[in-house]
Amino acid sequence: MTAAPFERALNLITRVRGVRGAMLVSAADGLVVAEHLMEGIKGPAVAALAGSLSNRLGRAMEAAGIGHSVFWHLQGTDGALLVVPAASGILVVAVTEPDVNVGLVRLELLGAAGVVG
Amino acid sequence: MADDVKGLSAQLAQDPMSLVFLRLAELLRLRGQLDAAHRIALSGLERHPHLADAHDLYARILADKGDFERAFDEWDMTVRIAPSHIGALKGLAFLYFKVGDVDQAVMHLETARGFMPDDPGIAQALAVVRGGQPAKAAAGPAVGGPGQEAATAATAAPMEDSRVFAGLEGAQEGLLLLDAAGRVLGGALRNPAGQDVTDAVAAYLAGVSQEAARTAKLLGLGTWTGLATEGGGGHVHLAQPTPDALLLVVRDRATPMGRLAIVAQRAAHAARRWLEQQK
Amino acid sequence: MSTRAVESWTLDPLKRFVGEAGARLVLLMTPAGQVMAQHGFSRAVDVMSAAALGAAIMASTAEIARQLNQPPFAALTHQGDRHGIFLGAVSTGRGTIVALVVYDLDASSAGLVQLFFEQLAAELKAASPKEGVPKQVLAADFERELSDSLNTLFGR
Repeated sequence: MTAAPFERALNLITRVRGVRGAMLVSAADGLVVAEHLMEGIKGPAVAALAGSLSNRLGRAMEAAGIGHSVFWHLQGTDGALLVVPAASGILVVAVTEPDVNVGLVRLELLGAAGVVG
Repeated sequence: MADDVKGLSAQLAQDPMSLVFLRLAELLRLRGQLDAAHRIALSGLERHPHLADAHDLYARILADKGDFERAFDEWDMTVRIAPSHIGALKGLAFLYFKVGDVDQAVMHLETARGFMPDDPGIAQALAVVRGGQPAKAAAGPAVGGPGQEAATAATAAPMEDSRVFAGLEGAQEGLLLLDAAGRVLGGALRNPAGQDVTDAVAAYLAGVSQEAARTAKLLGLGTWTGLATEGGGGHVHLAQPTPDALLLVVRDRATPMGRLAIVAQRAAHAARRWLEQQK
Repeated sequence: MSTRAVESWTLDPLKRFVGEAGARLVLLMTPAGQVMAQHGFSRAVDVMSAAALGAAIMASTAEIARQLNQPPFAALTHQGDRHGIFLGAVSTGRGTIVALVVYDLDASSAGLVQLFFEQLAAELKAASPKEGVPKQVLAADFERELSDSLNTLFGR
């Protein structure tokens, strides 16, 4: 697969109002695969921390018998992190303003996860 | 006690994935049946490799058997999974004291005291270590050693659900209140098969909330106020009703995420009120 | 787990790095393999082996970079089934320091280690004494200095 479908998928996410950046992250090692970020957002930090939190959350959910995570959303007072794990072990990540339309971003993330595989 | 072992063994045989192995192995350890305890604990650990309490239990058994090097590794793994694990901090302190490294022993006990300032066992251990008295028998319960005190710290009985979440939907099986160290204060959790998974989930949640806080801080998201997850088998919402407490709400997929957030708000309100009453 | 340093200014940055990155074992050393600080090792022979091997890996990859007409590689990562290894170099007032980091894949990741290595590098640069070229070490001094370093690293 070329980079073009990844780029298109990330563009669709960043077009949602309130999204400050979107990226694809390798869940296993917390490294950036592709990114489309506004200035001031540190891609490697987002990748490493989103990867780590995703893995910890996954273990808790497994213990709870909830199964694998389809979507998760960390809300903060000054921003939010929204993540969809794709089947291929890639995380589709969006960094957003605190009052973003979560439903809309979620849909775009799920769409991107379908492209990534 | 023989009946307890029999009963727990039967439960484990019926459901090998159950966390009852923790109680069974601890019981066998206290009875001095270390080989049996070792087998049970190791088997449980293979099934639950990320469970801090399983590593702690295994470490205690290894220490009782005199295998201090491996006990050290296991307690080290425990604190990596759960940095506030009191049993592991005490165990490491014991091992350092045993080899004469009083500074490290004190450091680990002080760290434990930071998480549990009112624990008399930790205070006693610190007094002994600072007083320079040698540790008693290899795995004795004194000096905050790897024996009963660790078990006591790790197995505080939760309050009855009804006292915390009285009147709220799912109080018996979908709401869980923890303190900052990951110990259960109230509520209970069952998985879709109806099995009690309270302890297993609680063991992971402290680590999740610490990572959520770190992520929010380092990425400039401010203070984290909630972590919502949509899973293949249900939805989960994690929040902090107070800075020292964690609230977990779990519902099946039929409950929309928006409604889950409202349930979580009500539960957080109840939790805050209850925590205030405990002061 | 103990964290000890021969060069005391490395201790606090190292402790912070270990806490944030979740590293299991860390060595801070010169490119020649002389250890300045360590975390997580329980035996002197392990420290010596790891330092020698880490220094050799860095020297080999530096030579590869040289043959490619490139500056030395900033960092190396190897990943196995359960553990990962990271090697990175930072220039300080005391000269180049090489960090060898071993991490459990359950507790950390390449991304986390790299992320907090940048912070470690900045803190080491800021904390390092601004001294001149260190004195040349004679073979006789080397044995004694190595022995002294190992004693410090293990708190003896």
